[in-house]
Amino acid sequence: MKKIIESRKKIVEGLHIPTESVEGEGGCGVVGFACTTQVEGRHLLAALRQMTNRGNGKGGGIAAVGLDPSFFNTSLETLESHYLLAIAFLDLNVKEELENEFIASKFDIASQGVFPELDDFSSIGLEIKPPTVHYYLVKPKTSALDIFVSDNDLSKLPKSDIEDEFVYQNSFLLNKRYYSSLGEKKAFVLSHGKNLLVLKIVGYANQVIEYYKMENFKAHVWIGHHRYPTKGTVWHPGGAHPFIGLNEALVHNGDFANYHSVAEYLAQRNIYPLFLTDTEVAALQFDLYSRVYKYPIEAVIEALAPTTERDFVLLPPDKKELYSKIQYNHLHGSPDGPWFFIIAQNVPAYDSYNLIGITDTSMLRPQVFAIQSNEETIGLIASERQAIDAILRSMSEHDPRFGSKADIYWNARGGSHTDGGAFIFSIDKKDKSMVCTNKFGQIVHVPEKRNGSHQIEVIKKLAEGNRFPLVDDCLQKADGLPQLIDQILTHHDPLETFHSLSFLLDIWHLIPNSSNGMLRGKVESGITNALKKVPHITDGSGEYLRINFETWKNIRSPMRNEKSLVIDIADFPPEGEESAAFAIVEAYRLGWKHVITFDWRGQRFCGSGLGPNSDGFRIDVYGNPGDYLGSGLDGAEIYVHTAAQDQVGQIMRRGKLVVYGDVGQTFMYGAKGGEAFVLGNAAGRPLINAGGSPRVVINGTCLDYLAESFMAGDPLNGGGFVIINGVKFDENGAPVDLPEPYPGGNLFSLASGGGIYIRDPNRLVSKDQLNGGTFVNLSPRDMDLILHYLDENASLFRYYPFSKEMLNQLMEQDLSFNLYRKIIPVKLKELS
Amino acid sequence: MMSTGLQLRVQKHANHINEGLKKLVLSNIPPPPALGNYRWTSDLIRATYFQALTGEIPPETLNYKTGASNGGFDMLHFDFQEHIDQSSIDIRSFDLGIDLNRRGNGSKIKISQPTYGGGMSFGSISLNFMVARAKAAQMLNTFTCTGEGGYPEELLPYKDHVITQVATGLFGVKEETIQHARIVEFKYAQGAKPGLGGHLLADKVTAQVAKMRDSVAFSSLFSPSPFHSVYSVEDHKKHVDWIKITNPSALVSVKVSTPKDVEMVAIGSYYAGANIIHIDGAYGGTGAAPEIAKKNIAMPIEYAIPKVHKYLVQEGVRDEITLIASGGIRTAYDVAKAIALGADGAVIGTAENIAIGCTHCGNCERGRGCQIGIATSDPELSQYRPVDWSANRIVNLYRAWNKQYAQILAGLGLKKISELRGRTDLLYYGGGN
Repeated sequence: MKKIIESRKKIVEGLHIPTESVEGEGGCGVVGFACTTQVEGRHLLAALRQMTNRGNGKGGGIAAVGLDPSFFNTSLETLESHYLLAIAFLDLNVKEELENEFIASKFDIASQGVFPELDDFSSIGLEIKPPTVHYYLVKPKTSALDIFVSDNDLSKLPKSDIEDEFVYQNSFLLNKRYYSSLGEKKAFVLSHGKNLLVLKIVGYANQVIEYYKMENFKAHVWIGHHRYPTKGTVWHPGGAHPFIGLNEALVHNGDFANYHSVAEYLAQRNIYPLFLTDTEVAALQFDLYSRVYKYPIEAVIEALAPTTERDFVLLPPDKKELYSKIQYNHLHGSPDGPWFFIIAQNVPAYDSYNLIGITDTSMLRPQVFAIQSNEETIGLIASERQAIDAILRSMSEHDPRFGSKADIYWNARGGSHTDGGAFIFSIDKKDKSMVCTNKFGQIVHVPEKRNGSHQIEVIKKLAEGNRFPLVDDCLQKADGLPQLIDQILTHHDPLETFHSLSFLLDIWHLIPNSSNGMLRGKVESGITNALKKVPHITDGSGEYLRINFETWKNIRSPMRNEKSLVIDIADFPPEGEESAAFAIVEAYRLGWKHVITFDWRGQRFCGSGLGPNSDGFRIDVYGNPGDYLGSGLDGAEIYVHTAAQDQVGQIMRRGKLVVYGDVGQTFMYGAKGGEAFVLGNAAGRPLINAGGSPRVVINGTCLDYLAESFMAGDPLNGGGFVIINGVKFDENGAPVDLPEPYPGGNLFSLASGGGIYIRDPNRLVSKDQLNGGTFVNLSPRDMDLILHYLDENASLFRYYPFSKEMLNQLMEQDLSFNLYRKIIPVKLKELS
Repeated sequence: MMSTGLQLRVQKHANHINEGLKKLVLSNIPPPPALGNYRWTSDLIRATYFQALTGEIPPETLNYKTGASNGGFDMLHFDFQEHIDQSSIDIRSFDLGIDLNRRGNGSKIKISQPTYGGGMSFGSISLNFMVARAKAAQMLNTFTCTGEGGYPEELLPYKDHVITQVATGLFGVKEETIQHARIVEFKYAQGAKPGLGGHLLADKVTAQVAKMRDSVAFSSLFSPSPFHSVYSVEDHKKHVDWIKITNPSALVSVKVSTPKDVEMVAIGSYYAGANIIHIDGAYGGTGAAPEIAKKNIAMPIEYAIPKVHKYLVQEGVRDEITLIASGGIRTAYDVAKAIALGADGAVIGTAENIAIGCTHCGNCERGRGCQIGIATSDPELSQYRPVDWSANRIVNLYRAWNKQYAQILAGLGLKKISELRGRTDLLYYGGGN
């Protein structure tokens, strides 16, 4: 190891440590997936197109691992045993010289070629011509390797390590010569690992796929990245992601506050960045830990995102010992600031293709993980759920083996003792099986898919008194959930189909074995198809009328018995003057009392802009609504029958928000009031800086910083509160306790008012999780208050988070019964 | 309503303060030795009182142009080439206005002077002062800003001249307050205390203040140091888009402090759709901002302005964005120097406080707040500075400033304040004690 680091000394001579990344950039759109079968590049397109608002068209890139050998006119063996050098030529005049000096003289070439390009780059909206990319499938010449070994005294290393380092240093020198030392950049290495490819342009990542005609190119692992550099003029894609180590490509969402210290840390190990972005140093760090230091992935993650505070205390003793050593050595080099990495990796030694997602300790960037497992298994990571669903939708449209929704979705808790803030999807190269593990190697299990009459019995019970007879009809005939869905889908009346499917969505969590993306996808796309059959506003009349992006300007006031306006959101842009939010506001102004919106694809601001006192207006939401849903809500009601994303209910004041799934970061930031019911989890910092009287029930839990700076008065005197139920639904559709009702820290920090009622029968929440709060006993008035909201919660989500006996105890206000614990702020000296 | 006794007491205090303010500038009695500091000198404070009282340029016996800090604006001077007969200057022949929206789309707003008022929240300052600032802004055809303590309905008559601030605590921000405004300002950071967020200590959180902010009376309030929904420029764009959904015609101003990569922040804000980039350097802020933060964290504004200006020019977008500077800008001369360094205009806070009698004592935060009745939420103290009286003082101050801009422009051979922008060639460095 020392020899490798030592050997780099001469190649970095004369370079200096950059003090700041010259290419300022912010958060970005990131997405990645890994599949047990090779998948075409086109399935990234929809997701990347839907996320273009997370970039600015000044840098896009993709990486692929586990490639299709036929593209390179070679065999899988050659692809696995050779390095794939991909070189971007900004100036083709240097090609011959470069090839002579850096390729032909040093490598045996098994195959080479050039990536196909579109004739006209401007035809897909690009302003800067992407580089011409040549690839060379190579193995170091024995003669060149021998010199390298003797020059650097590396003879004790295994041959594969020597080759890796040889390739790494060759590319470094190439980049130094043709990229970093020049005012005019001429060429640089895009990637040089085995069976791994990176392409990047000045544009969006979807345009990479279009420009290099990668739509039909197949790979096991894909990642894509839209960049948002703040610098105005960018004329070459050197600074775009992904960045490479050796056998891995890394994309990054966020930025480092301590770029200088990370760069210095690397410089001490003879590593100098040449592209001067923080992503590059992250990739270099990853390569250093994993290839040079040969750390196992757990240690790599710990070095990047250290476990701290309470999470560290809760680690088992052996981990504590190991982690303190890692931190002792690497804490000063660990990237600080908001970041989230997605890494595609080919691990020759372990014979696997990996997709890795790592979130920073403070969890400052949004991230979602998901799996769908049927005949083939696919694992996905993205900065938002809609991107995941866009990939699955695209795949399900082309291949019936895939469903349009994932079986499970989850968030990682950065630097935590619970999952370590990182997950790894690993595909075994031999049997093509996939396993997903967290940082600690614990396997993420995909729930069993067992369909049958046990599902029907549960649905029958829940459908009693249901106002949609279609469900009852179909229930008589079906012997499992799939048949039930199929029967509903074949019904002739679209509205009955819609209502029945919507009913299924709302009770989905209670149906046994319903963690099934295939079935869930059928229900959701069934809703889209049914609602698309509702008559168009210009074509007829009836209780339900429809508009879409093409026609919404024809919107008019409701007449006679017209009740609900159905809005097809799919083609609306995500924001701006033509956005869906305006169509909804327009419907409200024209006097519609109810809009049903469907096929959301990440469009933002649903329900914003209605203005004060929008009471009596109701929005139903199906699909993937984007960020800031219900922000500013003041009277209206929004029912999201799926999941929501980040910044839901910001500054919400009155009204009602119901989400039949999870919500993302900073849920109800700065809210002043209103009622909200969330079936699933909230991510980080829910209710931060909320005041007034928000009343919130979260049936799952949240990541961290719950109710920071909460100032919502006294819950018993008109103030606000949050009820955390801490449950999830098991494979039988029954509510079960989460391992901890609240796993994070910093509960209630700086709070001055309001209350938290946390369902914690086993007293798992401890004082050290509180920061400015204290536990107090529940009074009978507290019980009345929570029961009122739990009743409403039960009527929405059809369950109580306790048994009948417990309910009786609650009703009798048995004070010895303490299922819930109340947390109120303490008057801190610092606050008064 | 106040009781008669209280009314009399308020009247008595207010009269004493007013008499004192007059005597400090019109009589020959020496100024109190404790008045002022190197930055805001006794002369500058008394010159501000003079201008607020008379609307005229102060006599040359008071140094109304520079302080005594031996740095920054105090060491920059205009290199006047033309000797103009001051009495011949007709202020009406000069264009002192600036455009706040220089993009091709959206509503056009031109203010008649190169400054507007900075955000000071309900709670940190009295309602009377807030309304007075808005009234003055209306009379002067410029703007004032709510700060982050909510939008008292007393401001509604002046809503065309009030900027709604959306800051990290989101205190008092509602859809209608965004919809009222012609300009919405995102406050990401304040140069006086970058990275520290904001705070309003318990004593000033009266029942009215708490109600406006939906908080608990007499509990300290905190604004987080960042927007927790915005950790990146792409999040910021989303944030701007949100405002534009709520109020499509509003201009967006982005107030940031001055880190060393402030020009990156500026260009990022431009691409996210901002109309105004407002950079707030060190040295500003009321007594509530910690002294050590005010003077040691952010970059002084006179360094930041040319850095940002040049970068925006180099990136070819300078003429599409309005660059506003603040942070320790005290006088008409400071404003003109900021413009010559590359800003379009400036935001003024402290000078308006001084115009209505602030002595720069720094006791804004503790207890009931300011004894003059400015930085206070106390119902009695708040009455010391009546609305109309205060509005007139502020208007007078800016009238005097406008006369000085005209003088400066005349001395430099210019006709429009916008022609002065970026003319560092007209400045020289030197002087001092």
